[in-house]
Amino acid sequence: MTWLPYAVAAWLFAAGLYGLASSRNLIHLVGCLSVCQSATYVLLLGLGYRWGSIAPIFYDHPPGTPAVDPVMQALVLTDIVVGATLTALLLVLTVQIFKRSGTLDPEHLRPIRRRGAK
Amino acid sequence: MSPRLRLTLLGAALAGLLPGAVAVIGRLPEFGATIAAYGERINAIVPAERHVANMVSAINFDLRGLDTLGEEFMLLAAITGTVVLLRGRRGEETTDRAMRLPGRAILPRSEAVVLTCRLVGPLLMLFGLYIVVHATVTPGGGFQGGVILASGTLLAYLGEGYAGWRDVVRSHWLDAMEGGGAFLFVLCGLAPMLTGAAFMQNVLPLGTFRDLYSGGLMLIENAGVALAVCGGFTQLFLEFLEETRESAGPEESGEDSA
Repeated sequence: MTWLPYAVAAWLFAAGLYGLASSRNLIHLVGCLSVCQSATYVLLLGLGYRWGSIAPIFYDHPPGTPAVDPVMQALVLTDIVVGATLTALLLVLTVQIFKRSGTLDPEHLRPIRRRGAK
Repeated sequence: MSPRLRLTLLGAALAGLLPGAVAVIGRLPEFGATIAAYGERINAIVPAERHVANMVSAINFDLRGLDTLGEEFMLLAAITGTVVLLRGRRGEETTDRAMRLPGRAILPRSEAVVLTCRLVGPLLMLFGLYIVVHATVTPGGGFQGGVILASGTLLAYLGEGYAGWRDVVRSHWLDAMEGGGAFLFVLCGLAPMLTGAAFMQNVLPLGTFRDLYSGGLMLIENAGVALAVCGGFTQLFLEFLEETRESAGPEESGEDSA
């Protein structure tokens, strides 16, 4: 089962990508993007894992104990925080699109016209 | 573009990328067998070199501090964009009246909710502070602690209602926290240069390993991140909740302020 984490990452990414391509609702689209992003968490943490290692925090265990890769964990940490704010930004754009055009379906979006140019 | 056409395009693109993907996946290290040499070296060297126990914090605030500075400004930019987009259409003024769907019953807040929020809220804030200040010792740091602190303010909304929450949480304080946190981080980079050291070089005394004061400059950077994340996330909650308020003036249509 040593391929399982990579398979989970690939499956998550594929599911998110399918959702992105076939979405009919912008909120659903933002959710799909988050699913794609969680695939990167699984992949990074999987790459940094090693059997029999501790978390990279040498408080209870003395330095020198085999630990997992701290770089991947730092990457995932900042990834999550920035991802959360980006989700907020995308949702705000969705709110604005709904207020402007009254639809959440990307199919029905039309280019924004200047007022009075109709 | 019809959904079928979109999916066909996606399939064609994936087929084009497939050979590269197969080559990369074939070269992936076996799961759990080994970790990258860089991480291995960090684990071996940093506890003695920087006197910190938490390697993740050491990477975020010291070894790759410049990257975290970039992340910090991504955070700032995303939150600024959110606030500008929401406020631009709504304006600065606030009202107490919530938007109501006609016909939906309005339930009063139950006493159990108020009590739970008053009990759990302060404890949650304390826990957030604990996570923030123990960044270099135990799992935690400014990013995680800041988010916990921001969630703690939401309990005030749940327990005290919108008006009470707005009394506690002032928008301009949040702006100051968010910008000030990022500024503090930049200052941590620039201040060592005044002493002739490199950008973001850890010039402060490193403290004791496994002690609350350990890591020197990392602690200040960590505080900056905690301020920025806490202020930023609370600002997001506030702006989104403000969207549920009834607008004070007549409904404006059009795009003059957007």
